[in-house]
Amino acid sequence: MPIPIENLKLDIKKLIMSTLSIDDINPDDVDDEKPLFGGDNALTLDSVDAIEIIMAIQRTYGIRIADQNLAREVVRSVNSIAQFITEHPADAKV
Amino acid sequence: MIIQNFNHKMAAHCESGTITSLLNHGGLNITEPMVFGIASGIFFGYFHKMKSFAFPTFIVRNKPGKMRSNIEKRLGVKFKSYDFKDTVKGQQSLDQLLQQNTPTAAQVDFFYMDYVPSWERVHINVHFLVVIGKKDDIYTISDAYFPKMVELAASSLEKGRFAGGNMSPKGFIFHLDKLPPSIDYNKAIIKGINKACFSMLKIPIPFIGIKGMRMFARKVTEWPKFARDTEHLSHEIMKINILLEDQGTGGAGFRFMYATFLQQAAEMINKPELKELSGELMKIGDGWREISLFSARIGKNRDLGPEKLRQLSEMIRDRADVEERFFKSLSRAVK
Repeated sequence: MPIPIENLKLDIKKLIMSTLSIDDINPDDVDDEKPLFGGDNALTLDSVDAIEIIMAIQRTYGIRIADQNLAREVVRSVNSIAQFITEHPADAKV
Repeated sequence: MIIQNFNHKMAAHCESGTITSLLNHGGLNITEPMVFGIASGIFFGYFHKMKSFAFPTFIVRNKPGKMRSNIEKRLGVKFKSYDFKDTVKGQQSLDQLLQQNTPTAAQVDFFYMDYVPSWERVHINVHFLVVIGKKDDIYTISDAYFPKMVELAASSLEKGRFAGGNMSPKGFIFHLDKLPPSIDYNKAIIKGINKACFSMLKIPIPFIGIKGMRMFARKVTEWPKFARDTEHLSHEIMKINILLEDQGTGGAGFRFMYATFLQQAAEMINKPELKELSGELMKIGDGWREISLFSARIGKNRDLGPEKLRQLSEMIRDRADVEERFFKSLSRAVK
């Protein structure tokens, strides 16, 4: 059964924060739509963090994001990560 | 005028993406990974001390231009190419081809592509794109790294096409001239794989292929000797991540794209063992991605002591061992 989207978004925020050892931000303060990189979101990440997140998504959801052009689009925001996990075809999973 | 029926597509790599676009436009239904695989794009070379590089570096694909010539040989397609000394003649020739409705690929210095955000622009003289139209002094460009077609001033394109320096483009352009009446994909795929295996396993040069990976593993611990200071060393170590993950590699040093090629080839020529090897290579790519992340992390944290470099060296040596086994199996699979 698919995970409800709001639960998935919360899981993604928790995954990002545990992967990057961030414990001083409340997941509820992270905006779903605002960019995670170089923006004014509660979480502001850099390109090294992006690779950590890509690998964490692979480990947790079994989806490999191989191409960097795609990766840039996927890790743009919590919403875009959630959309990718929801829509990604099963045959691309690890 | 703009060539109306040109279908812009994003691609993982500029050269294989550009070739794929031109072939697709000409009516050949072929994917970017298939072009990359048939062209034996996968490669490894480590350059410890070379005049052309200020710092040790490595490459994970074959020489720029080689993919085009390999595709010509193996598929029997023909491209016409031109280079120029004179910028005016270079622009006139391009404009004439566009007038004839011919999508034309150009080699440029990426730095002058104004549609790229300034913080992403770097001098790379071997970026490829397709020019598909011109109105007044503005060209319409299909750049495989961008989701939509973009526009570029004629003056910027000229600067990009005639930039100086190492591997300068010299106004180089090419376009599809002829497709063959039929293609023997079985032969093309096998030749492409055999050549890739030869490059990775048998070229008797100590810095190429698996030997090159082992040299990289040995020599990376010496990198601090070449660096001016910690900042410089961290910059160079973090570049490992860029060379493996960015610059159009399709992720983890082209290993994921080559794995996709093997998967497609398995079906196309009915060799299920290639599909199994594809899965294996995906996992090998994951290992390179671990190296990429490790390098980015120690570079970012300026945590570059001998122990970390030894760890990095071990990780690279491990990739050399698994890739040696992989390419031997691949070579046997197409015998």
